[in-house]
Amino acid sequence: MSEADEHEERISKAIAGLKFVDDPEVGLNVVDLGLIYELDVKEEEKKVICLMTFTTEFCPMGESILANVTESLKMTLPGYAPEVTVTFDPAWRQDMISEEGRQFLGGY
Amino acid sequence: MFGSPLGSNVARTTSYKVVIPFYAYGAIAFLAAAVLLLTSTSSFGGHWFQPQLLAITHLMALGWATMIILGASHQLVPVLIENDLYSNKLAYASFGFGAAGIPLLVHGFFTFNLGWPAQLGGVLVVCAVLAFTANIAASISRSKRENVHAVFVFTATIWLLLTVLLGLALLFNFTTSLLTRDSVHYLALHAHLGLVGWFLLLVLGVGSRLIPMFLISKYTNPRLLWAVFILVNTALVLYGLGFLYGMAPVLNYVPALLVLAGLLLFAHYCRRAYAERIRKKVDDPMKASLLAVGMLLLPSLVLIVLIGALLSSAGGHATLVLLYGFTIFFGWLTAIILGMTFKTLPFIVWNKIYRHRAALGKMPSPKDLFSHRVYKAMGLTYLAGFILFGAGILSGAPLLLRAGAGVLLLAAVLYNWNVGKLLTRKPFNK
Repeated sequence: MSEADEHEERISKAIAGLKFVDDPEVGLNVVDLGLIYELDVKEEEKKVICLMTFTTEFCPMGESILANVTESLKMTLPGYAPEVTVTFDPAWRQDMISEEGRQFLGGY
Repeated sequence: MFGSPLGSNVARTTSYKVVIPFYAYGAIAFLAAAVLLLTSTSSFGGHWFQPQLLAITHLMALGWATMIILGASHQLVPVLIENDLYSNKLAYASFGFGAAGIPLLVHGFFTFNLGWPAQLGGVLVVCAVLAFTANIAASISRSKRENVHAVFVFTATIWLLLTVLLGLALLFNFTTSLLTRDSVHYLALHAHLGLVGWFLLLVLGVGSRLIPMFLISKYTNPRLLWAVFILVNTALVLYGLGFLYGMAPVLNYVPALLVLAGLLLFAHYCRRAYAERIRKKVDDPMKASLLAVGMLLLPSLVLIVLIGALLSSAGGHATLVLLYGFTIFFGWLTAIILGMTFKTLPFIVWNKIYRHRAALGKMPSPKDLFSHRVYKAMGLTYLAGFILFGAGILSGAPLLLRAGAGVLLLAAVLYNWNVGKLLTRKPFNK
């Protein structure tokens, strides 16, 4: 397997892990809810970089979701230090929910 | 951020230690009020100005509804204003003053001994509201952005302060001549400042944010909410001025219709938010909260009939006044609290227990922390008790009143059971 393939595989693994992290209020995982804006693995620095948001800027569950995302990245990519940043620019919108997420919530 | 559990740009929620005492106190007050209702059904056959009814009303208004709303507000105001609560100490002070003052005041009404213990109770309640008002004002003033929901909450808090200050003056007026007329004359003003200014305005402000949020609805309409805000506040100011300067009784219809127009606009807002929701499956607590919005129309209609009865000099005013108060305190307010408790408290408890247990695998969700069977039984007994007791007030049948109060007491027991289950939750409970 090439280095590029291994890099992609690690990103896929991290995303797959994040699919087990739910927003406790909505009951939908953070990936399908559209909270994960960017995810990258810095191979040389041994870091996993995640840019994410919450559904509202003062989400009462924000602290918990952030801790769970960080923990999930640690567990799926051991040896890579998670660096999670929360942004509200752009703010989360309902149209960021994936098609799978919409089906889970009842769809249109 | 590197390995830190909390990013610098992630705001902290209000500590559960601040919020939970209010919920526990409110639950016990509801139970106590239901017991008093059952033991005071004979008071519902006569005039509304009776010691037991004053005690039940103040226990429901302050001990139950206000304490739960104060607790929830300490958690929800930061969500509305998108900033931290200014002070936990002020929140504790608000709880302490309220928790000590309410029993003194209620006991004073129940025994109709309005001497110093009841007056001390009244002063403590005012201190509780002052602490809350200062906390909300300071929190909002530090907020990055202004929004209509925060304006609703702040204005409601000011009306609450006016309500308790007037209430305190009325209390002292029973024993010392403070006001130009006797205290009974001002009760309608005191009641409506609290009901419309505090409870209604606050529920509209918080509900207009939370209902679309919980439904994951795209619908927003600040202009409509501003219209609701202006209608309700104009109604209150007109009513207050009319009361103090003696307007013609027929003009009471003006503020009543303004409030009704505001409520219809708010109901339209909720309907649109519901129609445009992404989350199709609506849970039971959310259904109860939406039902409570509909239940607002009941006291509004009773009020319109009551004004008509007062104008026509027909009899039955006392019955209508009792029904009006009952449909507010045991109807609309209780319904919304029964629903919203199980939308907010499970998250507070969940955050307390599971926030730092991310590494422990699959965790229960907040809705798994209370019994849904007990919740459904509570909802059904509550509705049955409400209908039976309401029918008892209208018909004057003691049997209906006792049956209704008994079933409402059962609903209060079930509510307390589920709240107790939540508050005593351990991390690995099944």
